[in-house]
Amino acid sequence: MNYFPDEVIEHVFDFVTSHKDRNSISLVCKSWFKIERYSRQNVFIGNCYSISPERLLRRFPCFKSLTLKGKPHFADFNLVPHGWGGFVQPWIEALARSRVGLEELRLKRMVVTDEGLELLSRSFVNFKSLVLVSCEGFSTDGLASIASNCRHLRDLDLQENEIDDHRGQWLSCFPETYTSLVTLNFACLEGETNLVALERLVARSPNLRSLKLNRAVPLDALARLMACAPQIVDLGVGSYEDEQDSESCLKLQAAIRKYTSLRSLSGFLEAAPHCLSAFHPVCHNLTSLNLSYAAEIHGSHLIKLIEHCKKLQRLWILDSIGDKGLEVVASTCKELQELRVFPTDLHGGGNTAVTEDGLVAISAGCPKLHSILYFCQQMTNAALITVARNCPNFIRFRLCILEPHKPDHVTSQPLDEGFGAIVQACKNLKRLSVSGLLTDQVFLYIGMFATQLEMLSIAFAGDTDKGMLYVLNGCKKMRKLEIRDSPFGDAALLADVNKYETMRSLWMSSCEVTLGGCKRLARKAPWLNVEIINENDNNRMEENGYEGRQKVDKLYLYRTVVGTRVDAPPFVWIL
Amino acid sequence: MEKDGLGLEITELRLGLPGTEKMMKKRGFTEMIMTSSGSNSDQCESGVVSSGGDVGKVSESPVAKSQVVGWPPVCSYRRKNSCKEVSTTKVGLGYVKVSMDGVPYLRKMDLGSSQGYDDLAFALDKLFGFHGIGVAFKDGDNCEYVTIYEDKDGDWMLAGDVPWGMFIESCKRLRIMKRSDATGFGLQPRGVDE
Repeated sequence: MNYFPDEVIEHVFDFVTSHKDRNSISLVCKSWFKIERYSRQNVFIGNCYSISPERLLRRFPCFKSLTLKGKPHFADFNLVPHGWGGFVQPWIEALARSRVGLEELRLKRMVVTDEGLELLSRSFVNFKSLVLVSCEGFSTDGLASIASNCRHLRDLDLQENEIDDHRGQWLSCFPETYTSLVTLNFACLEGETNLVALERLVARSPNLRSLKLNRAVPLDALARLMACAPQIVDLGVGSYEDEQDSESCLKLQAAIRKYTSLRSLSGFLEAAPHCLSAFHPVCHNLTSLNLSYAAEIHGSHLIKLIEHCKKLQRLWILDSIGDKGLEVVASTCKELQELRVFPTDLHGGGNTAVTEDGLVAISAGCPKLHSILYFCQQMTNAALITVARNCPNFIRFRLCILEPHKPDHVTSQPLDEGFGAIVQACKNLKRLSVSGLLTDQVFLYIGMFATQLEMLSIAFAGDTDKGMLYVLNGCKKMRKLEIRDSPFGDAALLADVNKYETMRSLWMSSCEVTLGGCKRLARKAPWLNVEIINENDNNRMEENGYEGRQKVDKLYLYRTVVGTRVDAPPFVWIL
Repeated sequence: MEKDGLGLEITELRLGLPGTEKMMKKRGFTEMIMTSSGSNSDQCESGVVSSGGDVGKVSESPVAKSQVVGWPPVCSYRRKNSCKEVSTTKVGLGYVKVSMDGVPYLRKMDLGSSQGYDDLAFALDKLFGFHGIGVAFKDGDNCEYVTIYEDKDGDWMLAGDVPWGMFIESCKRLRIMKRSDATGFGLQPRGVDE
């Protein structure tokens, strides 16, 4: 390759798009490092505190797309207090000062402000795509800035964010001359929507492919929107409640019949039980269906819809579908790759809507299944062993038995053997979440067999430090390990400090690690940020003489090249 | 399955008017699910699951599941949306959804615009164009349809039993169902029984 001019090498590199591969390329030699860094278009930063924006810009001066992730995963479950961090402002400011021609910004679990969005909208002439997932801290005023100033915006995709809805006119801030919209997702907005502005926007967006509405868009408006955008591929129905007039229903049904391009359907944030039948005509083309917010639709209606969805690849659903419903999925959806079954009842009302039988049925009926998230009340080792035999291709296997420490409900044994079978059979397993009654044995299996495992979530499991040690020693590709309410302590934490340099992060909450242990770790590993999140008023943690043995409530550690962060709130101690 | 523990709670009959003491029932139910040994719900401990040291078998230290932070691991956005189904903001405005068996469309009506059960009966008749819905309130057993409502705790109750004021405060939605279907439905018992 030394004989080729740089332009040729760069052209070859253009075909290499995965981050991992590009990182590998850059390690080959100095010349490749240099060519690669100037040609990198998409930068992915899994932990915004692992590097600073300035260092990023020095390394990659020419990128167009930036993906940033902030808070750790367990922040989704309210385990990370408000104000912990993940602020995008310094990034936007640094990028604005530089000469980067940013076109795309994708943020996950970060704190975004209206000022930041305003700055973003004014600083990058060619800005095209804003994707915010599980973010917070901004309002519809920020969206108004984006709408007003980003002339070439293609995508505005807001997924599951906490947005302060000022019920303003952000939708009418898109200029009348603006026609380049491709993706518009505002399902997470709570407030009223300017329907007139929305209809005019949709009507002048011939390239619109993905439209996801919030619950404030009523049936008649939905019918009108659909009628003027029959080219839509991905539709999120906000609300589907039959009002007084069935005329809207008829208009909707007429519009739906024209939706030959529709491949993905979601939403139904508020839904009349009988509404799904209107969509039966388009089901045969659907590859993705998300009904996981449609709590009011009964299992029987879900089943009637799914019977038409023979090409489904992705299904997100509530457990109200029941085992019977999952059997229908298993016999109908032979192309199914990803399934998520969410719990309807979060308070353990004893509703055994789905059990191990549903999971087994799916594993037997869907040969292409590779990703599953399954919430249920009960499980058995026998079922898991069967699932492992049926489906050795799992890449992601996340099982959540709602009651912590619950054993195999038939044999009363721990579920070690069941999960052991999964990791042994699924040689490509990258992500695993375990639950139920589990001893150290399951971690022995995981350490032995889960050689490709990158992310592991543990809750209420294990007996001794050995459990965690099996995982740390065995899983060479581990990147993210998150543990809660499990009896792992300092011995496990400190056994192999260098391991953490090969990982993105470790989270341990309500475990047995002590402040003394964390301090020792921080001393041994200066390349790590070891954060203790301490929400109690009890700042006497350092003062009393027993600090060495004081248990730490929440520990979050991650590798970083820029040392201690400066934006940590008072309740976060960085050792 | 620990049926014994569950069974006890399910068959517990509440005395007195609906709306009282139901909180107790719900919490007890939660606790039952929590402990695999089905130990007594009276032992509910307040506070978060003990960190570290006592992480052993739950049967030794039962904790109400509803008090374990971040469990089950459902993201907060999804939690908020599922809670919405339980306490839809529209109730505050007096609007409730009304469904009637055999009618494919859901209707909405403003409870606040009715002054009492008679008004409600009249409004329901008008809504569905069907006479006789309201008769059930007065005649009880003579009508083909019964009107039931879902209250704040998710239980289905026969409409007409409680004082109007109490009714509109707790009613989340209405359903008009055929009397013949109602018997197997699992309505909460009216008033004092057994």
